[in-house]
Amino acid sequence: MNPLLALRYHWNVNVLGPVVLRLQRWQAERRPARWDTRYLAPPLRIAPRTKELVARHWLAGRYADGYRKVAWVTSGAPVELLKALDFYVLYPENHAAICGTARLAVDIASEAEGAGYSRDLCSYARTDIGAVLSGKTPVGRLPKPDVLFACTNICQTVLFWYRALAEYFGAPLVLIDTPFVYTEEAAEHAVRYVRRQLEEAVPVLERIAGKRLDERKLRQVGLLSKRASELWLEILQRCRHRPAPISVFDQFIQMAPIVEMRGDPETVDFYAALLKEVDARIAAGVGAVKNERKRVLWDNLPIWYRLRYLAEFLARHGVAVVVSTYTNAWGELAPLIDPDDLWESMARTYIYPILNRGTGHKLRTMRQMVEEYQLDGAILHSDRSCKPYSIGQMDQRDRLIREVGVPALLLEADHNDFRAFAEEQVATRLAAFVEMLG
Amino acid sequence: MEPASPIPSRTQTLRAWKEQGGGIAAVLPIHYPRALLRAFGLLPVEVWGPPRVDPAPGAAHLQPYVCSIVGNALSFLLSGGLDGTDVIIVPHACDSLQGLGSLLLDFVRPRQPVFPLYLPRGRRESDLQFLADECRALYEKLAAITGRAPSEVELMKSIRREEEADGLLAELHRRRRVLPLSDLAFYRLVRAREYLPAEEFAARARAVLDGPPADPRPGVPLLLSGIVPEPMALLDAVAEMGGAVVADDLACSGRRLYPPGTSTDPFRRMAERILNGPPDPTRGSPIAERLRHLVGMARESGARGVVFYDVKFCEPELFDLPLLRRGLQEAGLPSVHIEVDLNDPLSGQTLTRIEAFLEMVAGQPAEEARR
Repeated sequence: MNPLLALRYHWNVNVLGPVVLRLQRWQAERRPARWDTRYLAPPLRIAPRTKELVARHWLAGRYADGYRKVAWVTSGAPVELLKALDFYVLYPENHAAICGTARLAVDIASEAEGAGYSRDLCSYARTDIGAVLSGKTPVGRLPKPDVLFACTNICQTVLFWYRALAEYFGAPLVLIDTPFVYTEEAAEHAVRYVRRQLEEAVPVLERIAGKRLDERKLRQVGLLSKRASELWLEILQRCRHRPAPISVFDQFIQMAPIVEMRGDPETVDFYAALLKEVDARIAAGVGAVKNERKRVLWDNLPIWYRLRYLAEFLARHGVAVVVSTYTNAWGELAPLIDPDDLWESMARTYIYPILNRGTGHKLRTMRQMVEEYQLDGAILHSDRSCKPYSIGQMDQRDRLIREVGVPALLLEADHNDFRAFAEEQVATRLAAFVEMLG
Repeated sequence: MEPASPIPSRTQTLRAWKEQGGGIAAVLPIHYPRALLRAFGLLPVEVWGPPRVDPAPGAAHLQPYVCSIVGNALSFLLSGGLDGTDVIIVPHACDSLQGLGSLLLDFVRPRQPVFPLYLPRGRRESDLQFLADECRALYEKLAAITGRAPSEVELMKSIRREEEADGLLAELHRRRRVLPLSDLAFYRLVRAREYLPAEEFAARARAVLDGPPADPRPGVPLLLSGIVPEPMALLDAVAEMGGAVVADDLACSGRRLYPPGTSTDPFRRMAERILNGPPDPTRGSPIAERLRHLVGMARESGARGVVFYDVKFCEPELFDLPLLRRGLQEAGLPSVHIEVDLNDPLSGQTLTRIEAFLEMVAGQPAEEARR
């Protein structure tokens, strides 16, 4: 290891960086709310801490080259293996979402489009490839991957995308292929296949990491991962309360650590603190939407570049979006993680995300949410960039209306590409939906 | 330049098979174990769209950004196009086909049983084992609906029959330039593999291969990549414009030249054959491997340019294109990318682009192309 790079890492990540980030947090805690507090609750007190935590993660990545081994991973990947081997873990999807929230995604994606990537491709992938090709990023700098770690449990897109990254970086691609679960139960041979791939990945990752996998450490990471996921699920379930203490728009922002820092002790502490704040809101009768009249669910990815617009529009009409199939995905599998039988439970946990299950399962999940969260309607974001999440929504919407008896809206957009967002049309459709809610 | 006896259509083949008491399996793209279906007396009849159907029934279930192969297949099913079939097999090639399989099982629920088949995305031992297990699981499902239980010997017999047909298919591809067939006639013949019984296809292939060779077809030699050459009139149009398709990497054709298997376990052998096929993004082949394959094919066949002829919204294809086209360019092989919707007629715009491409390739010194 180059001692200068090690020094640079420690100085920036452990000494200077935290001071600067703490200062920024201090300033953020004193800044007035940017979202319209006539209709929405004041921002969560924890929000500046979230920003600090996430920024620190990206800061570590900025200086990781030459000091730590770096893995680029998909959001549903069994990250516990990488964490136990001390990889710095970077999530291109999260990076793309940061670009989307900062409204930089289209500019960065254009770099990929200029290189021949079609606009019909996933906008996360275009944003990421654009960042790779141009070096443009709002997080300072992205470290080069020593390994690419892709799991197909969220889509096949990640496989096609990571194959391209493997060419650009000349980095090995480790694939965990998770057969799609069409029926209620995954076939035993499918679970066996996932487990075998997890076991086969170990020597490859060990070679890249330059160290042996310590089973005790893996168990510890598994425990932390499980605990953080449980806390996240508890937080989401608090939204069964009326008024819901946080909205899905809060959840979209607060979910970053559970996605990209799962398995870290800081993540557990963070969600424990968030849960406390959520409980305090419930005790004080504070709702995310000040005049919560109607409660609805959100299906599919967020529209990152219009979070505030959507939150304010709906809140103005007393509509609280309280639950989402998307944010729920990082909590619902928590019970499956068993640190005492980690390999088998990892295989089962990572084959069962909602995105790796059939369209009927998603409908059942939404029906259950309507009941448990006492919902009045559903917004299904038909996301051009996410076919596996979106296919099936037309039938799901029809059945929610017909069989469950709640209004359901199919909202055409894209999670990161604002060129696919027709604001006037969205406003008209949302207004009609709100009217149907009564 | 047509074969001596006309190739029966899908409908004729399906009817004749049914009259003999056989069953029909409608199979969605791309890879699946033909031999397994045949061992149960089921004739696999592939559904690549089909083109030019009324898309309205499918549009009630699928968003407009889903490819027309999937959209048309659903429309075709809902309009009664698959009424004569006994089972629907949906191999998992991409998110859109995954979605279609799921929709059929959960919401559309056709009369026929629907069996998805997951294809692993690698060539590791674990992938091979898994696919063999998938084939075994499909065997059980087919046994349940047909009441039959083919023995290992019967399975191996069925595999050998398909291997023979695939060997002849590969030979047709190798000798395509000196066969007495136009491009259109060639593709009518090789695409008959999508529905003819293997033995009937083999007889037709053998008849063509045993005939006297023809002079190499004139025209700027092209390699055709992509999904499916629809509308097929494209092939005559290319010939009229002075082009000749001398090799292909089409999902419906050249990507399914499966080599014979080696295993004595029938399920493993079926899996082996699929996984050892030519590189394919839907099976997770690395882009570099695809590029080497394309360049190698171009060198062997003398192709001087590559036409990527894709169905719109086809993610597996679109992701590979930039790096493939760059690599081909570096190898002295220019390329053009054309996207079509299966319901569109052959457009003037497409023809103009191909014509311009042919002119460009023809104007390029051949040495450069061989570099």
